[in-house]
Amino acid sequence: MSLRHEFTKGFWEIVPPFRLVLGLCPTLAVTTSAINGIAMGLATTFVLIFSNLLVSLLRRFIPIQVRIASFIVIIASFVVMAELLMQAYFYPLYKALGIFVPLIVVNCIILGRAEAFASKNNPIISLADGLGIGLGFTISLFVLGCIRELLGSGTILGFQCMWSSFEPFSFMLKPPGAFVALGILLALMNLISQYQAKKGGAK
Amino acid sequence: MGGATVRDIIRMIVVLTLIGAASGLSLSLTHRVTKERIEVQIIKFVQEPAVKEVLTGYDNDPILDRKTIVVGTDERGNAIELIIFPAKKQGETFAVALEGKGKGFGGSIGVMVGVGKDGTLLDISITSHSETPGVGSRVTEASFTDEFKDLSIEEELEVDGVSGATYSSKGVMGAVNQAIGYVAKFREEIF
Repeated sequence: MSLRHEFTKGFWEIVPPFRLVLGLCPTLAVTTSAINGIAMGLATTFVLIFSNLLVSLLRRFIPIQVRIASFIVIIASFVVMAELLMQAYFYPLYKALGIFVPLIVVNCIILGRAEAFASKNNPIISLADGLGIGLGFTISLFVLGCIRELLGSGTILGFQCMWSSFEPFSFMLKPPGAFVALGILLALMNLISQYQAKKGGAK
Repeated sequence: MGGATVRDIIRMIVVLTLIGAASGLSLSLTHRVTKERIEVQIIKFVQEPAVKEVLTGYDNDPILDRKTIVVGTDERGNAIELIIFPAKKQGETFAVALEGKGKGFGGSIGVMVGVGKDGTLLDISITSHSETPGVGSRVTEASFTDEFKDLSIEEELEVDGVSGATYSSKGVMGAVNQAIGYVAKFREEIF
């Protein structure tokens, strides 16, 4: 179990929305634009890093029977902190994400990492895990946001990217568009994995 | 809980209490640190665009010149404050913008109301609402808000509500009436 592996596994091997298929609610709901995806991803990363660190530090102190309750209190505190900080420094983004910021509390990725990883490992490895998974989640949301924004509004991060006569598919900005984009990305990732496995097997 | 001794139970209670207390403490600290900045941000992103919409022809900065007056106390005895955005020309206040709140279908509706010194309603703009999108939310459209233009605050408001959105229309009316009420009651302080 190397530190490097714990950090990088979040980028491909178990990248949250695609491999673990966790945290789909924010993934589908806020990725109408690339910037929203980044903001949601970073807010989640913030919570994930600190909750992993704290859960790991307190892992011997928290009795096993009340661990879930303790984890949730810790996570909820960091979510409210993230919410207040976003309001203070990134108000328009906070407005755009709306209810999905407080809903980070119930994001399965965070409780999942606390329960499955941070409560069993030392703080440094847990920090690496939180950062890796968080950034993996951010990148996933960014990619999904880019695709939906490009097809749905013809822009990426607000910059015009399509030719002038391009008719945006507003379908991509609606919930069904999110599922379609997610499905195509999942299929692509599986294709690449399959190809890699085949190549690995031939060796 | 099989096999939990009294010791274990006490330990659980102590740990949960400590975690809860630490959480409360850190949140109240964060709240205190960010409070002022959040207020400034709300003024900048929510109230400022609305103020600029309802006031015209001023040569000052209504946001910078804003003043806060106390309009009453809530049930806990805390002062209810109201922010007044004055529009001035050559140092003379000729109109103000202030926010009123009304109860709509989905919750509180905030309306920025511009009132001239002579008692005419200049314009209104919805700052916040949680009305049904596409139904109640139509009260934010100019076709409805324009009806309030040039009415007198001395007389009872007469506007046609948005059909199908009676509660939302009433909520906006309530908010406008509240703002007008403040102007009537605190005229001296406001102008």
